[in-house]
Amino acid sequence: MKDIIRRTLIAGALGLFVAGSASAQVKELRIGYQPSPIQDASIAMFETWGAKKGIKIVKVPNSYGVYVEKMTASLTSNSDQYDVIWHNDDWGQLWAHLLEPTDDIPGLEFAEKWGMDKVVFGNAQGQNTVVPMGQTFSVFFYRTDLLQPNEVPKTLKEVVDVSKKLQAANKVKWGYVGGMAMNHSWFSWFWSMWGNNCDVLMPFYERDNKVLAQNGWKSSLAEPCMKETVEYWWDAINTHKISPRGMPAYDRNEANAIFMAGDAAFTVADSLWWGTFTDPAKSKVATKIAAARFPLGPNRQKNFAWDDIWGWAIPKSISADRKALAKEMLAAMMVDEEGQMKLWKSTGAPPPNTQFWPKIAAQDPFMKLLMEAVLQSPDKVRGAYYFPQWPAVHKAFNDAVTKAVTGKREDIAKVLAENAASVSKAAQGQ
Amino acid sequence: MAMVKEPLLFARLPLGARRLLFGLVLFGICFLFAFPVLWLILTSLRLESGVYYVHRGTEFTLGNFAEVLQDERVVEAFANSALIATLATVFSLLVTVSSGYMLSRFQGPAARTWFGTIYVFRCVPYISWVLPLYFVAQSWGLYDTYTGLLLPHIAVHICFFSWLMKGFFDGIDPSMEYAALIDGCTRWGAFIRVALPSAVPAIAALGVLCWLFTWNEFLFALILTGNKVPVITVVMAQFVTEMGMRWNLMAATAVMALLPAFVLALFGQKYVIRGLRL
Amino acid sequence: MSSKTTGRPLFGEQQRFMLLLIAPAAVLLTLFQVVPIAIGANASFRDWALYNPKKTWVGLAHYQAVLSDPEFLWVVLPNTFIFMIVSVAGALVLGLALALLLNRPFAGQKLVQTVLLVPLMVAPVIAAIMMRWMFNDQFGIVNAVLEGLGLDGQPWLVERWTAFGVILMTDIWLWTPWYTLLLLAGLQSLPREPFEAAAIDGTSTWRVFTHLTLPMLRSVIVVCVVIRAIDAFRTFDIVWTLTGGGPGRSTELFSLYAYVLAFLSLDFGRGSAAAIIGGIIILVVGAVLYRVVDRLART
Repeated sequence: MKDIIRRTLIAGALGLFVAGSASAQVKELRIGYQPSPIQDASIAMFETWGAKKGIKIVKVPNSYGVYVEKMTASLTSNSDQYDVIWHNDDWGQLWAHLLEPTDDIPGLEFAEKWGMDKVVFGNAQGQNTVVPMGQTFSVFFYRTDLLQPNEVPKTLKEVVDVSKKLQAANKVKWGYVGGMAMNHSWFSWFWSMWGNNCDVLMPFYERDNKVLAQNGWKSSLAEPCMKETVEYWWDAINTHKISPRGMPAYDRNEANAIFMAGDAAFTVADSLWWGTFTDPAKSKVATKIAAARFPLGPNRQKNFAWDDIWGWAIPKSISADRKALAKEMLAAMMVDEEGQMKLWKSTGAPPPNTQFWPKIAAQDPFMKLLMEAVLQSPDKVRGAYYFPQWPAVHKAFNDAVTKAVTGKREDIAKVLAENAASVSKAAQGQ
Repeated sequence: MAMVKEPLLFARLPLGARRLLFGLVLFGICFLFAFPVLWLILTSLRLESGVYYVHRGTEFTLGNFAEVLQDERVVEAFANSALIATLATVFSLLVTVSSGYMLSRFQGPAARTWFGTIYVFRCVPYISWVLPLYFVAQSWGLYDTYTGLLLPHIAVHICFFSWLMKGFFDGIDPSMEYAALIDGCTRWGAFIRVALPSAVPAIAALGVLCWLFTWNEFLFALILTGNKVPVITVVMAQFVTEMGMRWNLMAATAVMALLPAFVLALFGQKYVIRGLRL
Repeated sequence: MSSKTTGRPLFGEQQRFMLLLIAPAAVLLTLFQVVPIAIGANASFRDWALYNPKKTWVGLAHYQAVLSDPEFLWVVLPNTFIFMIVSVAGALVLGLALALLLNRPFAGQKLVQTVLLVPLMVAPVIAAIMMRWMFNDQFGIVNAVLEGLGLDGQPWLVERWTAFGVILMTDIWLWTPWYTLLLLAGLQSLPREPFEAAAIDGTSTWRVFTHLTLPMLRSVIVVCVVIRAIDAFRTFDIVWTLTGGGPGRSTELFSLYAYVLAFLSLDFGRGSAAAIIGGIIILVVGAVLYRVVDRLART
């Protein structure tokens, strides 16, 4: 008995010693990220924590264009390059098996539940693999110098009518401008599609991969609601001329440039753009911007919102003591009220800890609007799908609708039907 | 072709009009050729709020340059790019001059095999190559290091330059080298002391082009570097973020990156034209 | 390797010399080109998803999938060949014209020459972004000028052939200086006597050009055409920046096809297979081109 106790004690002491010396060895944490205001603000919190603990925060910026590719290659080759990496809902399922579970990080109970859903970030064992950085979603922006809040279009048809009125009065060159090219589908195609009660795959709004698989990854391109959506944009561009003819090729930089130059009445962009649109150094209409709910199509009565999180994750392949330290840092970030307030102020992104939200809303009407219209909306949509082939599906979808909207109006249904199979095939990895 | 009829039409015009027409055509060609770059320069001088609608509004600023130059990474990237481009040029020329000499002076299976290899690998698309290169660089510990960036930049030129170097040596009469060999000179001596000096103008020409290629190279740098070895093209690309594109800063950096290339082309073109005789 | 008798007694020494000459190049080529390409080739026979490399052997399945994809056969390959032919021919004609222009002395010749080399100095990706903005239908300068002249602006990048035109123009613009330099160097190294003789005989300019200049520039033109054709075939970055292969997939070239498979579909195996198929095609095309152009130039 004594022997056992003594052995346990020795083992314990040894363990402590090893753990102590090991954590003493970790003097720095390497953050793989992509410079942008929200990530910079989040990393500022890491640095505050690091300064207190004597841990150096090494920032490793990555280029946007190849972030996913390089990070995926880095994660699968088990290279020991980063301790904490930028994570996003789009890659939730792509990386889930390569990331350390985060369920044991204190403070995550304050995170917003919708964005942290297991459908997005859960691994095969049902553990979560993300720590939130902030909420991101798109909103409908309009010009306050052109419209009173009560005049803001509530339906897609009103977007056309109001735009035509403004154009006829020579107040603005274009009604709506938004990104439409591949990887910028959200800013025209997706919101108008959801607003018309439609989605990329069937059943609509389903994100459980098992259910989607049971339905054969069926594309909704051939559905009437999708035909209506494409016809809407075809008419907006060619019949009503409220959107420029070049729009099907626009990325968001081009669309936002036109909006910020004062040449369009409406656009849809990420809420994080609020800061850019209202910055006089960047925008000619800085003092004339407000946000509203998405206009709806004929098939939808209830308002909807989409809402996702950006987050941080820890690669599975790093050593245990680095993981422990990274978790400690992320836990500290989750409860860093001062830092999260700064994150809100510099980006307009609701911070990761929901407990701080009411306080911000009390001070800032924009947050109040976001909470009502988006964060607490009962009808939320997920902005992506969560299986590895999603980028391929997204491209197949975008190629099909682009082809349809740049062709003849009477061919729209035919083109969509012809390309429906390519979306399903992309989902099945064929 | 316009060029052919030109003298006929030309001949009927008085000399002054001929000169004027010629000058106008020349100016037109030059203007069109330089236009995208002029436009880029104009863009870099615009405020961020007017950087897309360059032709609209008249506010100009040097602020973009000031902002970019405050960024230590940009300054570091310029130094790195210059270093990598220079070293890659020197080493590319060193390894390909001998390889091209071999291709030119020898026939037979060895030379044929080597030429075949070079041709085949010249044809391989970059797409099949960059990602494995990333794996290789990582497993050899070369990722995000100077060596790891430099060596592939040398390797990428081997096929093309060996081919061109062969052309250069083909144009140099080998009889001097045979004479040297008979006089008791070693093969290395004949190569280095006899053949090489005649090829210097060509090598210099290739050097200028190689430097420009490497200076503007993007794909390898993007894949093979993280943050320890920032180079100018990658730093430019990093102005594109999830939050949009800082086109004003990108344009300013691109204009600054244009300067060394311009200086080199300005003073180097003479050597390039004199040397690049295939 | 067997050696060939070249009339010199020192076989062994000659072989050693040959090997030493190519050794540094061969080593670098092996490490940074052969090895990575072998890894890619290996992946093309395996189930190798980028996010989950199982690496199980699948034989020729990826090749079969690519070669039976109608999009690859009837859109991507024709696009790639059209691009290659127009780009090479366009830059060759333009480059030759400019080289002939620069080959005669006139006031400001140096200045003109420098200006014509400007495209060589810009990073191609930046040039492509600049072109994309210039051809934007709203803020682009091209439409602004057209509208200023009372013409209709066009949505250049939304229609297949105008988008293709913009891509081709950018590519030709980027590569013309390269042809100009090589051809000008070639022109200046031509012997003077035949030209002087032709001038005395009163031969027409066109005849001099077709019967003297062109044949004498043969070797330069062959190198220009073959090397540029290979490069044009694998063009990636400017197309990706300008149109991303769009609208739809109507301007997709072979390297974009491989890129999308490997990096968007994250199927490294199939992407590699597509890249290798493309590599083999250009290998054959390049060799044929070499023969054809060489023979054409000879006659």
